Amino acid sequence: MALLEAIGIGKTYPGGVVANDGVNLVIEPGEVHAVVGENGAGKSTLMKILFGIEQPNAGRLLLDGREVHFANPREAIDAGIGMVFQHFSLVPTFSVYENVVLGSEPRNGIRLDRQRAIAEVQELSERFRLKVDPLPPVRALPVGQQQRVEILKALYRNARILILDEPTAVLAPQEVQELFVAIRSLVAQGKTVIFIAHKLPEVLEISNTITVMRQGKTVGQVKTSEVTEKSLAAMMVGREVSLRVERKQTDQSECVASVEGLRVVNARGTEVVAGLDLNVHAGEIVGLVGVEGNGQAETLEAIAGLRSIAEGTITIANENAASLSVLERRGLGLASIPEDRIAEGLATGSSVAENLVATRLNDRRYVRNGLLDLKAIKAHATKLIEQFSIRVGGPSYAVGTLSGGNMQKVVVARELCEQPKLLLVNQPTRGVDLGATQFIWRTITDARDKGAAVLLSSADLSELLALSDRLVVLYRGKIVAAFVNTPDLTPETLGTYMLGLSTQTADEMKAALK
Amino acid sequence: MSNIPAIDRASRWKTIRRETLRALAALAIALLVTFIVVLFTSKAPFEAFTQLLTAPVSRVRTVGLWIDDVVKLTITGLAFSLVFQARQFSMGVQGQVYIGALAATYVALSPLGATWAGIPLGITAAMLAGAVYGFLPGIAKAKLGANEIVSSLMLNYIAIELCNFLVRTNLPKPQAGVLTTNDFPDSAVFPALVANTRIDLGLIFALVAVVVVWFALYRTSWGLKLRLVGHNARFAEYSGIKATFIMVSAMTASGALGGLLGSMFVQGQTYGKLTVLFEGGLAFEGILVAIVARSRPLAVPVVALFYGYLRQGAQLMNIRTDVPAEVIGVVTAIIILLVSSSFSFGFIKKLFNRDPARVSAPVAAGGAAK
Ligand SMILES: Nc1ncnc2c1ncn2[C@@H]1O[C@H](COP(=O)(O)OP(=O)(O)OP(=O)(O)O)[C@@H](O)[C@H]1O
Ligand SMILES: [Mg+2]
Repeated sequence: MALLEAIGIGKTYPGGVVANDGVNLVIEPGEVHAVVGENGAGKSTLMKILFGIEQPNAGRLLLDGREVHFANPREAIDAGIGMVFQHFSLVPTFSVYENVVLGSEPRNGIRLDRQRAIAEVQELSERFRLKVDPLPPVRALPVGQQQRVEILKALYRNARILILDEPTAVLAPQEVQELFVAIRSLVAQGKTVIFIAHKLPEVLEISNTITVMRQGKTVGQVKTSEVTEKSLAAMMVGREVSLRVERKQTDQSECVASVEGLRVVNARGTEVVAGLDLNVHAGEIVGLVGVEGNGQAETLEAIAGLRSIAEGTITIANENAASLSVLERRGLGLASIPEDRIAEGLATGSSVAENLVATRLNDRRYVRNGLLDLKAIKAHATKLIEQFSIRVGGPSYAVGTLSGGNMQKVVVARELCEQPKLLLVNQPTRGVDLGATQFIWRTITDARDKGAAVLLSSADLSELLALSDRLVVLYRGKIVAAFVNTPDLTPETLGTYMLGLSTQTADEMKAALK
Repeated sequence: MSNIPAIDRASRWKTIRRETLRALAALAIALLVTFIVVLFTSKAPFEAFTQLLTAPVSRVRTVGLWIDDVVKLTITGLAFSLVFQARQFSMGVQGQVYIGALAATYVALSPLGATWAGIPLGITAAMLAGAVYGFLPGIAKAKLGANEIVSSLMLNYIAIELCNFLVRTNLPKPQAGVLTTNDFPDSAVFPALVANTRIDLGLIFALVAVVVVWFALYRTSWGLKLRLVGHNARFAEYSGIKATFIMVSAMTASGALGGLLGSMFVQGQTYGKLTVLFEGGLAFEGILVAIVARSRPLAVPVVALFYGYLRQGAQLMNIRTDVPAEVIGVVTAIIILLVSSSFSFGFIKKLFNRDPARVSAPVAAGGAAK
């Protein structure tokens, strides 16, 4: 008998977006069940229904063969369901163990039994191979560990079924492997995992069964052993998708941006960028390679003007940019796709149209004499929604109601709707589906072909290798290797430099550091 | 794609309707609880409750009292809405009211006050003084990182005491020992719009202010920047918006509104002079109005209309029966709790119906969105 079954689930959001329309899902006990589908296919909505956050308009849920209704997450948790969200919900100032036990604290009379809480959290984390220190505040942890805290939180409440909504989107490749180890140990100890991801190799590696969704409907359920990446992609998108991008020959003689002796010190006083020299030319994509936290993000932020620099010069389009404001840099032709769309790329409470025009409030096409041209702003949004196939009810919908991948498309659309001179890109396809990944890669490459200088950082090595003309490897804020991208450059080669196991000599780097 | 605007509008109306119903339901629940409280505390509970609900419309004069409250609540509600939309929690309206009133008083009691300039100059001086007073916590936050809640509350005390001090010492008054100034010359007092009531020129100012604030927030780039800062200040910075400038200017603009309210108090029909503690805590009630109106300028006067009615009802009940006006605190507390929490009709339905019907036909509107 199936452990959890959803039959004919329908969900229409207020405002009329049909997110689920006759969805069926059958989860067997002890399996890893992947749910895949394009952005906005309704995966998160289905999971929220299973977890009691959203109420379906139609359909039934069966748990252990008995019909259940979850009016709120509490009831779902009591029934043994746990969920880790696409966007976390931890209390940043609370310690790890406090976050884990919050709401179901072990008590000593009316007081929190601190010792027992810590011991229990430690025991759980060892048992399921989710290594994390119970004492530090959550905000001091990297995302990968925060995610473990989320998982522990669910396990602490005795979840039998664990829903992971795009857990790998925020993880570095190494962390993905660690997560998979944990998932395997969960399943070995009798838990069942529902797993959402866009990267098909991950899905093929970890799951036993796959349910494919498209436009709010389930297209089918297959055994993982019976599909290939290709056939799965075709099932998801309804057509063949190839992730190769063709690049034009470009004139790369003009240096658009250069950084000399850049040093950046973070709020805690540690040096995160330690004397960086780098040139980016028109018509090329330079990939910043490195394990997350080795200075890539800070370099990009420093160039964008979002982070103050300790030392060094930044030149954009032959102007000394170090003292220019964000707006002035944007005026020089800079565009930037930030790493964390929710925290810095969007105002989720504002409408799609407002988000799309936010960087152009000095542009006479949209603002004259301090007054908004609402018609032009709306037309601009409508055009971009169409052009970037953003799935949304209309320009005046709040960005917060969009699916994760569609939010990313809003950011990309805003930054790339006009040809930039210098484009800074950090994790452009995080949480984005295959079709959209292809589209975003195409768009970035187009910008390059038309003469933009592009600086790209990504946790996904295949993305860097697919797009870059040159690659520089950062380790502890320094360049330790540089390559001209050729077909025989492999992730393994890059890996040894990324981990600091070897370093190129200045001569070796020279050729690739023009 | 062509039918999207229609859906847009439909969904906006839906939201407005939902929010309105929510607020009304909160009001109904609050009144119910109040009734129970009155039932237990009053000797004549029904009479008291009837007073609460009907007293404001019992006479022309009381209608005037009600509308006067609505006008003033509207202005303070707008002032709070402005800073709330920028996600600044400046509590300084009260201080701005006192400072504005002082400025207006100095103009009104000067030789200029006896000329045609008494009203326009008084208002201008009050708004300028209020703006400066709103600017202070803003700049202290921007430059020194001072928490705006704390600094604005401190400034409130300073303004109140300054007003107190000046009325006692410096300003001309009819006789020693009284805590009011001389009456302003007629040319410095807002003319009444309806004879023998408190409804005066302030009503027009309130209506204009609603439109101006709405326009500033939704039709100017300043307003869009302000709202973007309010939604996500980091994103605003990233977009090239100077978030600190926007914060400070929002607090300054809100201060000008506070100053205007000060002038409306002392130059209005109610007083026509400066008295210590003239404001009676009304400025802070703008917080409630702004919260219930969700900081939407066009919703502010509507909320003020309801809330002003209750406020007057409570005060008249206080005078005419044995129930103190403080009961209104119960009403406001419950309304704030209900409106600002995620309470919804689903919740109410569930209260009354433990096993709600789950399966309903898919919403018809759904088809149109595809
Ligand atoms: N709260 C909401 N209000 C209105 N519409 C919503 C809301 N949440 C989601 N939607 C819409 O429902 C559809 C499905 O969204 P959902 O988040 O389930 O997609 P998803 O499959 O998880 O996509 P992604 O892979 O991008 O995360 C989308 O079109 C989205 O815009
Ligand atoms: Mg999702």
